[in-house]
Amino acid sequence: MSAEIPRRILVGVGNAGVAVLDRIAIEHPRMKGLMVINNDPESLASSVVTRRITFPQGDAEDGFLAIEQEFGLALGGALSVTFCGGLGGELGSFLLPALVARTKAMGITTLASVGMPFGFEGRQKRELALKAIEKIQGICDAVVVIDNERLSGGAPSMAAIGEAFQIADRTLQASLMALQGMLSSSGPVKITKADLIALTSSSGAMTHFGYGRAEGANRLHEAFETAMKSPLLTLSGKGVKGASLKDVKTVFLLLQGSSDLSFAEVQRAVGEMERAVGEDCKIKVGVHADTSPGAPLEIFILASSGATLPSVKETEEISSSPLKPRKSDASRQHPQTALTGTRGEPESTAPTRTSKPVKANPAKQTQGFLDLNTYQRGRFDKSEPTIVAGEDLDIPTFLRKGIKLGSPQRH
Amino acid sequence: MASDQIFVGLEIGTTKICVIVSEGRSDGTISILGVGETPSRGVRKGEIVDLGTVTECIREALLDAEEKTNVEIGNVWVAITGAHLRSFNNRGTFILPEDRDLIIPEDLETVETNAKEVALPASNSFLHTIIQSYHVDGNRNVLSPVDMVGSRLEADFHIIHGVKTRIQNTLRCIESLKLGIEDVVLSSLASALVVLTQQQKDLGSLVIDMGGGTTDYLLYLDGAVRHSGVLALGGDHITNDISIGLRLPIARAEVLKIQEGSAADPEEGEGGVITLKNDPGFHGCEIDRRALNTIIHLRVREIFELIRDDIESAGDGILGMLGTGVMITGGCARLPGIASLAEEVFELPVQLTRAKEVGGATQTFENPQFSTAIGLTKYAMAVSAHLQEESFFQRIARGVGGIFQRNRR
Repeated sequence: MSAEIPRRILVGVGNAGVAVLDRIAIEHPRMKGLMVINNDPESLASSVVTRRITFPQGDAEDGFLAIEQEFGLALGGALSVTFCGGLGGELGSFLLPALVARTKAMGITTLASVGMPFGFEGRQKRELALKAIEKIQGICDAVVVIDNERLSGGAPSMAAIGEAFQIADRTLQASLMALQGMLSSSGPVKITKADLIALTSSSGAMTHFGYGRAEGANRLHEAFETAMKSPLLTLSGKGVKGASLKDVKTVFLLLQGSSDLSFAEVQRAVGEMERAVGEDCKIKVGVHADTSPGAPLEIFILASSGATLPSVKETEEISSSPLKPRKSDASRQHPQTALTGTRGEPESTAPTRTSKPVKANPAKQTQGFLDLNTYQRGRFDKSEPTIVAGEDLDIPTFLRKGIKLGSPQRH
Repeated sequence: MASDQIFVGLEIGTTKICVIVSEGRSDGTISILGVGETPSRGVRKGEIVDLGTVTECIREALLDAEEKTNVEIGNVWVAITGAHLRSFNNRGTFILPEDRDLIIPEDLETVETNAKEVALPASNSFLHTIIQSYHVDGNRNVLSPVDMVGSRLEADFHIIHGVKTRIQNTLRCIESLKLGIEDVVLSSLASALVVLTQQQKDLGSLVIDMGGGTTDYLLYLDGAVRHSGVLALGGDHITNDISIGLRLPIARAEVLKIQEGSAADPEEGEGGVITLKNDPGFHGCEIDRRALNTIIHLRVREIFELIRDDIESAGDGILGMLGTGVMITGGCARLPGIASLAEEVFELPVQLTRAKEVGGATQTFENPQFSTAIGLTKYAMAVSAHLQEESFFQRIARGVGGIFQRNRR
């Protein structure tokens, strides 16, 4: 039996975790190593994931002790375990950190992709979630945090509440697949576990996540554009695509597609990414071109910059007064995601709002900017692109060839 | 003047819409009677994106042409371009029945039909089937096989096809103006008719028509079309590159391109600074000439390299067989330095060319921007005899094109 245990395991915890893993099971029927844990028997009964563990109702500690052995046996022989779930609830806030600790104690590479609650779910839930993140970050090799509150900025304001949760689930799923992809050893170009840890080892690192998927002749351009326009990569309230990447130190670019994914397309994606980030940003590329022919191209962007998640107070301020000028702090601009490693303890002094106008450090007072580099197609921005050999030829040739031009001298 | 000797060519370009009214002469040449022209709106990369606006622009150009020539326009020959157009070469074969060894005209139609027995995408339709050469029982390059004795007739064709609905949209604009459509012609085919002499077609020439939204190219060898293509890249891309690279408004970038731009190698050209003066809403600035020319040079070089690579990928080393070289026409042919750049890329002699063997308004046929529209009227003259009894729609009805059936009900 032990030979059948997959080397990489995905564990969905709670309702959100079950929903995400169900989606993965349906979209990737050949994927092995899926496991769901929930205290809702109905949710588990309707799940398409076959490996299910029921968390007993009642005391959380007793519950954990009850399933610990079964859980440990299920992980035997695994090389990595990636957890997924929403934080703020009982399972996400208490069980998830305990399972992470149990896994790490077995010497298994442990990762997690977790969702922060929406603002309307209440202050208490967010506080619980922040505490859980602190615990998880202290144990896991890498954690991606999807802030649903920030994510909901990408949904129409009149969107049905169910739609908001669906968007959250889809993003969580994409981040989970990104982590899986980065750890996969099947691709011709790999992002290694060491790369992932290197990304997370930066002090106070915060990351941003984007995901795009497309097929057809223009798949690269469309997938990349979608990823860059992800709400988690845009500046708060500005909608400038990929703007969050301006200050990042490291970015992971993962391309996952069918075996006809060309060298030119990979080259093109790296070129696009180089233009989107600053000059001193490191780009790590991963390519998995081993899915079935005709499969859509998926692009995952995961990046790191120097900021932390907003506190409960900050979140409330941001939510209640979105038009007020904000202190120029990266965390204010990018409150959506965080990726930190075992060494990346969350800063205890999360940035807070001052009542006085901020003018002590003019260098930090930056106005929201329009990033011209992201609008590289100019008058052709809304045109059907001219794609030859996977390259978008509407983008100026000098930009694609990386040739620097002097700026005009204004009178 | 007999009305059946008047031909009207309509080119719906990305930067301009022009109508050429020509008169056919008995010596096979055409004389331009006048040109109607209007700036184009609602066209991107050679394809219509705003039907209503384009229709209005066509109406303006037609009225302009009618006013200048005093000719009432009823039917037009239309040029078509766009990145959706594709081409390939194919051979059709026909084995004559055992009881007959004389090749008859119907056999030519059969062999053409056989050559088109290929699986086009469902959305596409044939636009042109251009004969390259006939072969009778292995006897290659027969010019006219009718009445020859043989058992096996083969024919090589250059076949051009495109997305049916995109072609239809072009035609709908014209239909809505109650105009008749004589035929639809690939832009580069029309251009080549007037910029190449028969000798140049025989020796081998590559015609590049570099317009505002597209660059069309067509290769002749041994008097027949061997290769063609359309790139949705043109002068507009150069302007856009300048606008982005030098951070100028599009209109400013366009003027700068026309007045100061060069496609020559910027390292070899003159340097210095170009001063743009203040205008309402625009702060003047100084532009590095080398930066401007670098932007243009890189874009034009890339377009030429794409054409070269496309032709070379077809195999046969056909570029090396061109005795005449490369002919560049279209609006971008007026960019300084473009010929030397093309020579470097294609390693062939290059000429900037315009309509030839054409009479009438000098300023019209000397302008390479009008090559396609003039070519349309030349095409019209060349094929009108064959079409007198069989209109474009009739040809469609019998399944040659199939583009238009739905519209004609």
